Amino acid sequence: MSSDLKGNAPDVRLVAAIRSGSEQAMAQVYDRYSSVVYSVALRVTGDAGAAEDLLQEIFMQLWRNPGAFDSNRGSLGAWLAVITRNRAIDSIRRRRPETDIEDVIVSVEPDMAGDAARSQAMKKVRGTLDNMAPQQRSLLEMAFFEGLTHSEIAAKTGEPLGTVKTRIRSGLLLLRKAFVP
Amino acid sequence: MSIHEQFAEDLALYALGALQGEERTTIEQHLAGCAACRQELEQLRGDTAYLALSASGPQPPQRSRQRLMAAIAKESRRVEVPKHAFVWWPVLQWIGAAAAAAVVALLLHQNSELKQRMSAMKTEFARQHIQLERANRVVASFTAPESQQITLVAAQAPPQPQGKAFYLRNQGSLVFLASNMPALPPQKAYELWIIPTSGAPIPAGVFKPNAHGGATVLNPPIPTGVEAKAFAITVEPEAGVDAPTSKPIMVGVAGE
Repeated sequence: MSSDLKGNAPDVRLVAAIRSGSEQAMAQVYDRYSSVVYSVALRVTGDAGAAEDLLQEIFMQLWRNPGAFDSNRGSLGAWLAVITRNRAIDSIRRRRPETDIEDVIVSVEPDMAGDAARSQAMKKVRGTLDNMAPQQRSLLEMAFFEGLTHSEIAAKTGEPLGTVKTRIRSGLLLLRKAFVP
Repeated sequence: MSIHEQFAEDLALYALGALQGEERTTIEQHLAGCAACRQELEQLRGDTAYLALSASGPQPPQRSRQRLMAAIAKESRRVEVPKHAFVWWPVLQWIGAAAAAAVVALLLHQNSELKQRMSAMKTEFARQHIQLERANRVVASFTAPESQQITLVAAQAPPQPQGKAFYLRNQGSLVFLASNMPALPPQKAYELWIIPTSGAPIPAGVFKPNAHGGATVLNPPIPTGVEAKAFAITVEPEAGVDAPTSKPIMVGVAGE
């Protein structure tokens, strides 16, 4: 029973209700994060049909195994975004899932549960990426959205392997820094 | 606690799944035994989640929501006992660390420090295993179909319906055990309510007794931090209701 769940219920309560079989809680989580999941899947696969299938798969996984998400270790939105990206990369590379979702732990501070907070975080990320050197941004996007390994990125860009590694790490740290209060 | 700088760049690549071959194996072995680097890995995965936000914008078609809700409606779910108390990650940590330590110990031929560490890990793993077994036995004694629930009453007194609620307000955790509950009319169920010190009753689970009149409600979805004045049971439609529609048939005042 979950009729007391409000539209602004925190993620941790919604997940607890999903564990108890609440379809209403599942609908609320979907309404909150389906756009993030779908956008990531679409960006990686470039195929609306495949993105829809991944959207279904990710939320069904949450329904079947809500215990895989550890609310003590980060936000639900961030976790869904990361496992969606991983599954999407697996699907375009036509390989079996490499990481079990229970092994994916994501520490991220900002609350992405509210529309306003999510929109603000999105602006901040885009601002940081816009201010980044184009080559560095490109390396990050190749690794994250195309799922290329560091060797493949080095071969594709002609950059030395060491430079690829350094720029990817410093790019991620720039994103982190943007969210430090 | 700081991360090992020699692994810093590879950790970032590992978080992105962009590390392959020997470098990947090396960092996985290191991660198995280094809590600081595991923590940094979680943080780096959080950083990649920010990257995911840059893709946000497109909305999924409306049919996707209908498709999902239809699919989950088909997969009925039993109430699951939360597993927060025992998460697999620490066990995997121990298994991973033990495996890594075993390899190193082999290579370094009887390194005594590593042997001691392995021994400590095995002890810890065994301790966690025992704790899990105990927890499982406790839960099974409440929930197993063959579990007998015996209520002791004054001699020669007829059996009376009884309920016991165990409530942890700060964790929003509730376990309710009932015995000698009368059989219900068709399409009806018992509904448990938290009566807060202020405000309307809060629904806390719907249940039907078994053939012996016993029933359990384990951690229904309830808000945390609610100060309970009392608990009550009403007879309601079997799907449950948001507010009681009948007078309580059982009441227990909190703290008594």
